[in-house]
Amino acid sequence: MSSPAEQEDDDGMDTFSHAPAVFPAPPAAETLVTARDLTRVWGKGSAAQVGIIGVDVEIGRGEMVAVVGPSGSGKSTLGALIAGIDTPTSGSLVVNGTRIDRMKTDRLAAWRGANVGIVFQDFHLLPTLNAQENVELALELGPNGAARRMRKRAARSALDQVGLGGQHRKLPAQMSGGEQQRVGIARALVTQPALIVADEPTGALDQANGHIVFDLLTTVARNGTTVVFITHDTGLAAAADRVVSMIDGRIESVTTGAQHALGSLAVRS
Amino acid sequence: MFRQLRRAPGRILASVFALALAVGAIGVLAIPHVAEGSLHAAVGTNGLGDIVVPTTPLDDEQIAAIAALPNIAIAEGQVERSIVTDHEPVRLLGLMDGRSMDLVTLAAGRQPERPGEIVVSPSVAADAGVGPGDRLVLGVEEFEVVGVGETLWWTGDDVAYADIDSVRSLAPSGGLNRLVITATDDSDAALRATVDDVRAVLAPNGDTFTDFPIYLPDGTTPIDADIRQVSTLIGMLGIMAGVVALILLASTTNTLITERTREVAVMRALGGRQRPLRRRLRRIALSITAVALLVGLPFGVVISNLIARMVLEEFVGITPDLAVDWRVLAGSVVGMLIGARLVAARAARRVTNQPLAAALRDREGAPFGRSALQRGLTRVPIGGLFSRIAARASLRRPARTVAVIAQISAAVGVAFLIPTLARSVNDFNTNEQSIWKWDSSTVARDPGLPFPADITDSDQSSETAVRVWGSIDDWDIEAYGIAPGSTMLDPAMSAGRWFEPDGREAVLSAGFAEHRGIGVGDSIEVELAAGAVDVTIVGLVDDHSLALYTDRSQLASDLGAPGMTNLIWQAGGGSGAGAAIPGAVEVSTRAEIAAEQGQGRDAIVLIFGAIGVIVAGVAALAVMSSMLVSLFERRHDLATLQALGARRRRLRLLLVRELMPLGVAGLVIGLPLGAAGARFIIGSFESSNAVDIGVVDAMGAVPYIVAATLAGLFGLGLLAVQSAARRPIAVTLRGAA
Repeated sequence: MSSPAEQEDDDGMDTFSHAPAVFPAPPAAETLVTARDLTRVWGKGSAAQVGIIGVDVEIGRGEMVAVVGPSGSGKSTLGALIAGIDTPTSGSLVVNGTRIDRMKTDRLAAWRGANVGIVFQDFHLLPTLNAQENVELALELGPNGAARRMRKRAARSALDQVGLGGQHRKLPAQMSGGEQQRVGIARALVTQPALIVADEPTGALDQANGHIVFDLLTTVARNGTTVVFITHDTGLAAAADRVVSMIDGRIESVTTGAQHALGSLAVRS
Repeated sequence: MFRQLRRAPGRILASVFALALAVGAIGVLAIPHVAEGSLHAAVGTNGLGDIVVPTTPLDDEQIAAIAALPNIAIAEGQVERSIVTDHEPVRLLGLMDGRSMDLVTLAAGRQPERPGEIVVSPSVAADAGVGPGDRLVLGVEEFEVVGVGETLWWTGDDVAYADIDSVRSLAPSGGLNRLVITATDDSDAALRATVDDVRAVLAPNGDTFTDFPIYLPDGTTPIDADIRQVSTLIGMLGIMAGVVALILLASTTNTLITERTREVAVMRALGGRQRPLRRRLRRIALSITAVALLVGLPFGVVISNLIARMVLEEFVGITPDLAVDWRVLAGSVVGMLIGARLVAARAARRVTNQPLAAALRDREGAPFGRSALQRGLTRVPIGGLFSRIAARASLRRPARTVAVIAQISAAVGVAFLIPTLARSVNDFNTNEQSIWKWDSSTVARDPGLPFPADITDSDQSSETAVRVWGSIDDWDIEAYGIAPGSTMLDPAMSAGRWFEPDGREAVLSAGFAEHRGIGVGDSIEVELAAGAVDVTIVGLVDDHSLALYTDRSQLASDLGAPGMTNLIWQAGGGSGAGAAIPGAVEVSTRAEIAAEQGQGRDAIVLIFGAIGVIVAGVAALAVMSSMLVSLFERRHDLATLQALGARRRRLRLLLVRELMPLGVAGLVIGLPLGAAGARFIIGSFESSNAVDIGVVDAMGAVPYIVAATLAGLFGLGLLAVQSAARRPIAVTLRGAA
């Protein structure tokens, strides 16, 4: 069993003080993610290690939400739970109208394929597939298993969208980190999911590539897809509609991106 | 090591067990040495002669004259007589006091000290239910059983050992009818020359050998050739076991080091230099190998001794003491340590050379697309995406893929070789009997030709014959004297014709004739108990045997007993002929002979099956170990697929697609390998025995082997997916293993 510290691999320390959060209703009319009393604990008894505890979250459709917090605060755990790649110990989690907290492994996998696009800090492209095939894979595993020709066309289009139109035959080993992450975003976008969860999407990239990738996510969000991204980059968090700050496995505050930026400035000054 | 054990006890213990099994499998190589060592120790203890030959009754003066011949160190006479009892016929053997050969090893009681006392063999003790202190009636005489034991020569037979005078008084002629000689020069040529000298001593008195002399040159035993053949086969399987063990060692060592990629990366990040880190990794691998050796060496000794015991008990009837082949032990230690050192060095280099950033993220160090072959493969549109992932995964680490295919091939090869050997031996036994038309045979227990040839003239369903040992070009053969117009055999002639009666014509086994370059029309010399005779080969018969067929009366004359025979065949049910014959006889029906052959075959199959199971088991373990390393390294890929929406069924399918081609390749290589191995083994038997055995591939086993291989690989895939699905995807993807 991993410790919460191991679960978190972010190393930034955002420190700001706000009044304890009363989670505000999402600005959008429709709620896409509703988490109630969400808890993730590994182990039992005195050996129990807490990832998150008693978290209540509501995220609206089309919203762009940043999750920030220091290492071990539980932000990656929250992201993993919302993305359906981990299951909570207790609490309820409804995403896109489906309660996923007690879903069986295979149903959850199918649900992910249909509803979520995930962008990883380490890209996690399949090394034996080229860029186009990596993007096609998401379609193959998606809800309808599109026909091969359709898949190819959609994958090319997604790669064009992230600026990799001419590099679809490149293998991950032949691409830079920024290019790999753009393939990762294309893979997340290609199924047109209702939700994109990005865990430190720019964490492994240099500043220039980080900006390119983040701009892509912002564009996606503007086009109506809900984006939840985990970061400890204040600048990136400021661009979000709302910023969820976490500490010790609990939500400490929820602010707008602008408030978050101001708060950070106040702390620095 | 103990820190490692505390950290991951299951993994380390599994590695130790796998390596111990590998070391134990190498122990198979020790079997021939252990078996031969035990056998020769038994020869030394029991005092086996160099020449053993039954004779017409001799007196002490003749024995003394023989003892005075050149090259004879010791010549001893014995009296041998078969006695009919209520149970199995018993061979009563009269042995000299103070003899130096054929010493009786006691299991209970004591040696005979006065007339009327006997030691019985364990089989007689069991059949008659007697032990020391009991009395046993043999013929007309009652003996006191003073011990239970046997000599090496008669191991497993129903024998009673008594003082020479007690048996002499029972024998009609009262003479010594068994001669045992120890020669000064025990080379084959010298022994044969000595036998000629002995014949010359006996001839003036009209005495002769009543059966073909048995030569045991250079300290060999009667079953040395058999043991050597069995040893050769075991040695071959041992080499295969050794190779598979080394592969298992390589994959286990590789796993142990690969698992520490992240830990090493952290040490590197903290300033650890490559060389000390590599040394540390090598030390871990070597210490685990050392522990495995401590467990595996006794395991190997047990395996080798168990199988050697099975061989010796089956073929010789002796139970050997525990023996150790120090060369194999030392070879195992050196081989395993050097092997572990080499593999560990390579793996440690790979782990410490991996880019630090990737290693810290716990990603495996085999990026795809660096070689032109890999890049080229990505341009080949193979099936769907999952088929491509499966195909390319095999090329990601080509050396490992080749090793896995080799392991599967070895397991499949052995799995096919064992039933093919069994099937071939079985068919050989059947073919060997197919020439004969009789239903039961009655054989005289005593040497010589005791039955008049016309004893069955009144019985249309019976026929007398002569069957004795002879020699052609120093090859031992069975010489049959067949009655004219015999109905007891139906020879399938491959060349020439059947012999004409009352002549010096003979028919020879086709396989042997081919091996020795003998053809129809050739005149050959056949050495018989009474001396050498010349015959003309007029035909070759497909009997899968080593036999010469000639006229009954001619052969009896050549043996110095005209008009006599030693064998009665009977067609139809029952064994009535035997009951009409005076004296001790052994009656065997075809069914009994078939059952006996079946037992022999089963014993051989059991022995080779045991070795085969070890080899195939180690190979299967090696495949499992290699594949689990491969799957462990690709756990992020599997987790990514799950994160993208792949259900377990898709993952299983992916792994099955990946493993099945390896299985098919292993089958395609392994089955012909097994067939070739069987041909090689049987070929070596054929050339060393000059007999036509023939190989019959056990095609019936192929579906089972295919099914077991594919099911095994499918199970492995299932296991991997189950194990992958147990861990939350998020945890695997963050590399927090």
